[in-house]
Amino acid sequence: MPMNDMSESVSPAGVLPMLILRVLHSGSLHGYAIAQRIHVLSSEVLAVEEGLLYPTLQKMLRKGWVSAEWGISETNRKVRFYHLTPTGRAQLASELSGYGRVTQAIQEILRTA
Amino acid sequence: MSEFLRRIYYLLHRRRLDAELEADMEFHREMAARSGDASFGNTLRLREQAHEAWGWTWLEHLLQDLRFGARLLFRSPGFTLMAVLVLAIGIGVNVSAFSFFDMVALKPLPVSDADRIVRLERSSATNHASEMAYPSFLFYRDHARTLSAAMATLGVPPMQIDDDLQPTSASFFTPNFFTELGAHAAVGRLFSPARDTGPAAPPSVVLSYGLWQRRFAGDPDLVGRVIHIDGKPATVVGVTPFDFASLGGQGPDLWMPIDQQPYFVARSTILQDWTTSSVRMWGKLAPGVSPAQAEQEFRALTDTLRRQHPEAVWPGEYIQSSPGGHLQVMQPQVYRVAVMVGILALLILIVACANLGGLMLARAVSRQPEITLRIAIGAGRGRIFRQLCTESLLLAALGASVGLALACAANRVILARTNAPHWLSATPDWRILLFAIFMTFAATLFFGLIPALQIARQRQHKTVARQILVGAQIAASSILLIVAALLLHAALHALYTDPGFGYQQLISVDSRLGQHGYTAAASRAYLDQMQARLRALPGVTSVSLVKLPPLGHTVSFSNVEIHGRSITIYPNWVASDFFLTMGIPIRLGRTFLPAEQHVVIVSESFARQQWPGQNPIGQLLGNGPTKDMVIGVAGDAHINALSNDDAIEQYWAAQPSDMPDMVVLVRAAGEPGSLAPSIKSISQSLDAAVLPEIRQLKLLYHDNVNQVELTAAAVSLVGLVAVSLAAIGILGLVAFAVTQRTKEIAIRIALGARPLAVLSAVLRQFRWPVIFGLIAGTILAAFGSRLLRAALYGVDNLDPLSYATAIATLVVIVCVAMLIPAARTLRLDLARILHYE
Repeated sequence: MPMNDMSESVSPAGVLPMLILRVLHSGSLHGYAIAQRIHVLSSEVLAVEEGLLYPTLQKMLRKGWVSAEWGISETNRKVRFYHLTPTGRAQLASELSGYGRVTQAIQEILRTA
Repeated sequence: MSEFLRRIYYLLHRRRLDAELEADMEFHREMAARSGDASFGNTLRLREQAHEAWGWTWLEHLLQDLRFGARLLFRSPGFTLMAVLVLAIGIGVNVSAFSFFDMVALKPLPVSDADRIVRLERSSATNHASEMAYPSFLFYRDHARTLSAAMATLGVPPMQIDDDLQPTSASFFTPNFFTELGAHAAVGRLFSPARDTGPAAPPSVVLSYGLWQRRFAGDPDLVGRVIHIDGKPATVVGVTPFDFASLGGQGPDLWMPIDQQPYFVARSTILQDWTTSSVRMWGKLAPGVSPAQAEQEFRALTDTLRRQHPEAVWPGEYIQSSPGGHLQVMQPQVYRVAVMVGILALLILIVACANLGGLMLARAVSRQPEITLRIAIGAGRGRIFRQLCTESLLLAALGASVGLALACAANRVILARTNAPHWLSATPDWRILLFAIFMTFAATLFFGLIPALQIARQRQHKTVARQILVGAQIAASSILLIVAALLLHAALHALYTDPGFGYQQLISVDSRLGQHGYTAAASRAYLDQMQARLRALPGVTSVSLVKLPPLGHTVSFSNVEIHGRSITIYPNWVASDFFLTMGIPIRLGRTFLPAEQHVVIVSESFARQQWPGQNPIGQLLGNGPTKDMVIGVAGDAHINALSNDDAIEQYWAAQPSDMPDMVVLVRAAGEPGSLAPSIKSISQSLDAAVLPEIRQLKLLYHDNVNQVELTAAAVSLVGLVAVSLAAIGILGLVAFAVTQRTKEIAIRIALGARPLAVLSAVLRQFRWPVIFGLIAGTILAAFGSRLLRAALYGVDNLDPLSYATAIATLVVIVCVAMLIPAARTLRLDLARILHYE
């Protein structure tokens, strides 16, 4: 993963599942692609560490938000693709609205305080 | 699919899923490397982290710990065997005790609707009776809406089958007894309300399975045959099943319908008598009715009954219900016994656990390198502690399994040896298994916690824990030994104390004239003739009458307080020459004149306690308006409370109205048994319908003493087990303490210290724990033994002799247990030890 000193690792940890859910919303991806997509979409600001990515994916599998299926990678390798389940979709919606409310509140404070 | 199911799925497929995750990461690393980044972290570590996300780590640690613990135990078979044995004894005793409690009080009887069966008894603030009058029973049965059925049982003295010498136990039952319990006959039929109600039904009898086998050799053609019971012909209609479960543990050999009682006991009027409490009442609650609702209804019914038959109801009487669907109807005093047994059993567990805790500590020292290494390579204290606890739990589980097996085997033997009902089995039910599991955890806590804490904190060499364990063992053992000594003393006291009357030569002849419809005058004539003819027999030295015969079926007593001390008064009604016949000396004053009124004779100890230092003769006694004057003081004779030094007696002269209840007492010059045939023929010639019960007091006395001996033997055995456990434990601890300091001892001796001084230096650490343990144990025993009061037959629960014996025994055992290993060290080859070190 291209890491430069300008990349921030994703934190706090609670945000990562939401980002993963969001990038999977547009289609199934394998682990490396998830990390890549987040990195690229954040204009290379955010980097997802493997140490956080895989335990988080496991947790999401446990909660039933995503499920994994075998597929073939662009490099012609057999690899697991993660995709959203209906529960995951619902979870994304609720996290997004929750996140929206919280950031709005924070913005409010930052602007007026 | 819920989250839990997904977790289970993961657990079951974790190898494959783990491999898949590894493949994911491998791919990730390849791709990253391709784009010029080789900083992928430690795959193994990442995999572990991802793995933990599933939340099964605890289980894996547990399995790891269990495997490790099992390997350790397997590698030191000597320790394992010892520990499992000690635990098996400790837990086994508890499981066994609980099994009996379970059988008696918890296990439902295998009868229909056991949970709805209640026992109904008369009660008031001052009185309690297990029995009620039969007409009262009928009244309640006919009016109670909260009961779906009511059953009554009438116990009677043993009856004679045909020409048997030995009488057979017998009872009368309402015919619905068997149908309500859902019992089916082994052969023939049991009673049914349709066929066996009313005095007009043909006389019939049901035999117990045991009697059928014993006396009739299991003859299948017995049904339909006529046998004679107390001389009355009756048809055998059936046999109860082998494993018949009866209520209240009642299991006579002869069962007869209650309506036929006047037929079997000629001219009996007991079924019409409102004032004689004769039958036990059982009820089956209507579905959905609570016992409280039933009691409520019964209060109203009792009030109605009081208006109709004031003579049948006590002031303030109410009917008390208790659960009846168990082997025993639990009364408060039974609970007290259960609590006592439970405490004693727990003490054994404490001794066993303290013992094992000591062993674990000793082992911890030899395991120190291993633990240090594991902490050094990064194991947390908590993880080490958890692993040690798992090991203890494994050990406890092994011990509990063996203990459970031992308890089952022991209970099976006990059940087979006693005449327990056949439906009882020693196979553990879920309550016992649950209890064993609970005991496993309790034991783990007792023996594993202190050592595990110490080891995890790397404090193996501290002596405090060892001292606590020694103290606990000594305290628990001293309580057990003191209790055993008290009970043993009580047994010896019962065995070798003169009961106060010459029981060896006495025979009681109970004709139960009242039950045969005799009036007072007729009874008097019968008894006068009987006495006259008995006096004329050669070999009879004296004859008299008593209402409550020694060691009889009926015991009457009341508790009073004299000068702050609670004592039990046993009243009795006797004829003039009672004291002469019984061999009870008259210490002061005189005996009664026939039917003398308003006078009383009291026992020596009562006179001493009530009027210390005064002349009891002429004193007045009684709470009512008419007081009784003391005319004599008799020697203490615990007629119906053998060897109970707290019991006192008061005697009144038998009045003419007492005659139907009087029992004849005969004193023989020689062997009393030889008089029985003559007594039988006299009674036959007086009234052939009346078969008196003839009992030799000598035999009854021995039965009674045997029971006391048995209890004392059982408790002594338990005490002995505890003391042996404690001795082994202390032996091991001292041996360990000495081994730990072998080098120091060798150097000291080499430098010229006297062996005795060295020895005392090593043993000093045990001095205070032993002393504290003894003091704590003695104080606890002094308080706790008050529970035992009733079982001690008048031996004081603070009896100094018992305490001294117990403590001395324990001290001797502890000293020996300490000196053996210590002395062995002193004999070691000093040069070799120093060389080796």
